Amino acid sequence: MRGHGFLIANYVRGDSVIHRTPLWLKFLVVVACGTASFLIVDWAVSLAIFAVMCGLFLLSGAGVRRLLRAIWMVAPILLVIGLFQWWQLGGPTAARIVVNILVCVVAASVLTATTPVQDLLDGVVSLAKPFRRLGADPERFALTIAVMLRSIPFIAGAFSDVRDSARARGLERNPRALVLPVFITTVAYARQTGDALAARGLGEAEEIPEKS
Amino acid sequence: MNLISFSRVSVRVVVDGRDAPKTLLHDFSLELSERRIGVIGANGSGKSTLLRLLNGLVEPSAGTVTVGGADTVTDVRRVRGNVGFVFTDPLSQLVMPTGREDVELSLRRSVKNSKERAARAESVLDRFGLLHLADQSIYELSGGERQLLALAAVLAVNPGVLVLDEPSTLLDLRNRELLRRTLAGLDQQVIMSTHDLDLALDMDRVLVVESGRIVFDGGAAEGVALYRALCAASLGELPHESAPR
Repeated sequence: MRGHGFLIANYVRGDSVIHRTPLWLKFLVVVACGTASFLIVDWAVSLAIFAVMCGLFLLSGAGVRRLLRAIWMVAPILLVIGLFQWWQLGGPTAARIVVNILVCVVAASVLTATTPVQDLLDGVVSLAKPFRRLGADPERFALTIAVMLRSIPFIAGAFSDVRDSARARGLERNPRALVLPVFITTVAYARQTGDALAARGLGEAEEIPEKS
Repeated sequence: MNLISFSRVSVRVVVDGRDAPKTLLHDFSLELSERRIGVIGANGSGKSTLLRLLNGLVEPSAGTVTVGGADTVTDVRRVRGNVGFVFTDPLSQLVMPTGREDVELSLRRSVKNSKERAARAESVLDRFGLLHLADQSIYELSGGERQLLALAAVLAVNPGVLVLDEPSTLLDLRNRELLRRTLAGLDQQVIMSTHDLDLALDMDRVLVVESGRIVFDGGAAEGVALYRALCAASLGELPHESAPR
């Protein structure tokens, strides 16, 4: 399978201010950006926040190329959304929605580019600890995030491969030739991943020592 | 070495459109205690099913499988702690974006302290000569490097038994040799299915599986010779017109 693009940036080693910022604060910024996307009504404000998030990304030292790549990966989807919203609700609203999505993508990229995945998973485990009282296993929450991070680029790569295969057979205009193989590949991948995790003993409920 | 025991085991699956279940493995009993065990046979013969029984990925329809005394159905957690499994395609096995992260993921259950976990992962990667690739995307690695990485991630938790399902199928000659040398240096009991008959000849004991039955159990040289004969016989049954040109 070909190399996969990813919607959000992978971890980049560094010692910037952003790298040293506590995980909870970075996480709060991501949550705040997501919440703000529902509340902001002026596209100029969205654009200003987008500029700030881009500035934070660059401050982390992750580089312009990674930033552009993260944006480029969502560009086709944003184009479709933007055109549709323009047609339905007009230019300013379309611009606000598109820029708000970009804010979320860049904010998530700042988090993932400056936080090692294991630290991210440890953070998820800490956040999920209260659910232990309800019988949930916090490690499973972390594993779910890990699998999600891994699955998105896989599906993107599967789509690229299938599109190339369809082109080679002159079927690029046939949606069934694109969608069905991706669907089947994804289901097979899910099963393989499940087997691989089970084989490594990951995802099994943690043994809680009995109280004496 | 762990004693692996199959007692009156068979595996059947229900297949759509068929009245009777399909038998993947017919009733057999075995005890395995050798250090290196090979499983050879044609595609679809039941090799993978046999290996998957070893850590509970497949449950027997009848009979019991135990590894080091632990039942693979009723004590699957203990079994999986003791039996590492390496798949044919390392990409389906590696869950994290980089090698370092994947090895750390393996260690999450056993090592709770993140600094200690990172140090252990570093040591494992160093042992396999993969430290320089630790932070590269798994997609940037060669097939051999990925397979070694998958192996390292499994061995990070130090299982007693290592099961490998056709580990060299996707590898070129150089990487195959690299894998062979790595496997030869392991302390673990190794059980491996393979189409690489040179690799099979390194084994202490070889099982030949044919249509869901173990048709040979013995020395590597005799097992490989029998498998070659079976292949030759099956080709002889094909009409010449159907052979690819």
